[in-house]
Amino acid sequence: MISASQITRRFGERLAVDNLTFTVQGGEILGLLGPNGAGKTTTLRMLGGLIAPTAGTVAIDGRPFTRAGAGALRARIGFLTETPGLWDNLTVDDNLRVYARLFGVARPDLAAERVLRLFELWDRRSDRAALLSKGMKQKLALARALVHEPEVILLDEPTANLDPKTSRAVRDLLLDLRRQGRAIVISTHNLGEVERLADRVGLMSTSLIALGKPAALRREVFGRRLRVRLAGAFPPAAQLAAAAARAGGHDLKIDGLDLSMVLEDPDAATPGVVRALVDAGGRSVRSSTNSRRWRTST
Amino acid sequence: MNADRVITLMGKELRELRASPTQLAPVVLLIVVCTVLPFLIVVVLPWSTGKTLTSDQAFRQVLTIARSQTPALAALPLEAAAEVFLFQQFLLLYLIAPIIGAVSLAAYAVVGEKQGRTLEPLLTTPLSTPEILVAKVLASFLPSLVIEGLGLCLYVTMIALLASPGVLWSLATPRSLLLVAVLGPFASLAGLQATIAVSSRVTDPRSAQQVAVLVIVPLVLMLAGQIAGAFFITTTLLLLLSLAMVTAWIVLIFLSVALFERETILTRWT
Repeated sequence: MISASQITRRFGERLAVDNLTFTVQGGEILGLLGPNGAGKTTTLRMLGGLIAPTAGTVAIDGRPFTRAGAGALRARIGFLTETPGLWDNLTVDDNLRVYARLFGVARPDLAAERVLRLFELWDRRSDRAALLSKGMKQKLALARALVHEPEVILLDEPTANLDPKTSRAVRDLLLDLRRQGRAIVISTHNLGEVERLADRVGLMSTSLIALGKPAALRREVFGRRLRVRLAGAFPPAAQLAAAAARAGGHDLKIDGLDLSMVLEDPDAATPGVVRALVDAGGRSVRSSTNSRRWRTST
Repeated sequence: MNADRVITLMGKELRELRASPTQLAPVVLLIVVCTVLPFLIVVVLPWSTGKTLTSDQAFRQVLTIARSQTPALAALPLEAAAEVFLFQQFLLLYLIAPIIGAVSLAAYAVVGEKQGRTLEPLLTTPLSTPEILVAKVLASFLPSLVIEGLGLCLYVTMIALLASPGVLWSLATPRSLLLVAVLGPFASLAGLQATIAVSSRVTDPRSAQQVAVLVIVPLVLMLAGQIAGAFFITTTLLLLLSLAMVTAWIVLIFLSVALFERETILTRWT
């Protein structure tokens, strides 16, 4: 449905996105995961035809974005931007109707009503958008992105500002849209969210570090193996294994001064493991997990 | 260009204006001043001082030039001709007032959307750049045009009631029509288009307003020049000016489209 082929984007000397290639089919959700500044928003903007790649092409059903055909392709896309960007002086209903008309929807009133009911905003339809809470504004922006029933849906942080109940409702809605055959790309820095939603996850840090199914990606990139380098006197391996096991570690491996073990929750368990190893006679010099290293390297 | 999309965006702009009608205060105020000021000079001043309009030597000289250029003025008694001449001069203010009023709306048109972070969602729609810019210009222009029209109706009514006999009909010339129905609107459109072009290149509406207000400088010079007797604006000159304004508007449409860089606007937001 929507494909990016070797897309690169530079802003002057700064490389924002480097050589991304992927395709999202109808009925599929791709999650773009990465920290702030990883190029997720720039990628979405290129997919949505808002900015052109410096190199490479974006195409929908094989039709690339060109200056002349961009409008027609944008009509097939629903784009939730980073900020809701609502017209505060207009009513909730008017915000949606204007967009429905701009997208050429035959019955803007009915289209607006459909999404207002879907997002439980019907009772607030006559209120000015400025009067909505942050979460409601985000819901309205989502409703606006879907008012023309787009085939391709691009969502930049779709559950930002939403309470857990509404986040869940949005996730259910996205899964429903996937069942309807829409191609969906979401960007987030929330691993849990993409794990719950996405069929595939692209891990971004300017370039695509990894692309795969969420579970495989978690094993590959966010592995739960803790590595500890010991210094000084080295206690017997059995003593270390026992200490690590008491602290929740298993699959202990010793390689010279380096120990590694698998933890269920490395971020929470690491201090306890290190303490246990020190108590067992080791002197910890450095410890790291894949997830921790990932975070600090970006 | 898709007319439905232009009308939709215009409608949205007008609805926003309706929600905040004080934005129209400058243009209303200016039109009121333009309407009342001539009567203070032509009717109230002579009545309060006891002097006729033509008792001023310098003004009589200007009037003589005008009468030599306009047979309709020459055919009128001197005082009535003076009234017609002055009422015609003040019609020129109707060129300037809507521009000044609408410039503040137009100046906010693009940079306001940038500041409100509403431009990016708008750019995700199939709207083309010319559609956005034309809709923004027309949405700034139409309210000013309506207010100007109402002001002119009031102006004509007051002339009918307060001026000397025959003055109203002497004003109903192709020249006046050209001035208010052709030159005025096209000067406004050209000015607003220039303002929109500036609005899409700056990050602050005040900058757009300050630059765009320069548009009225040639019109003010024209008004001042004629009142000072430096030259007289004939029907032919008005026609040429109207053509120049239409051309300027069209050129400015292309220029503003070229200056409206979607990517720069999106990626250099502060």
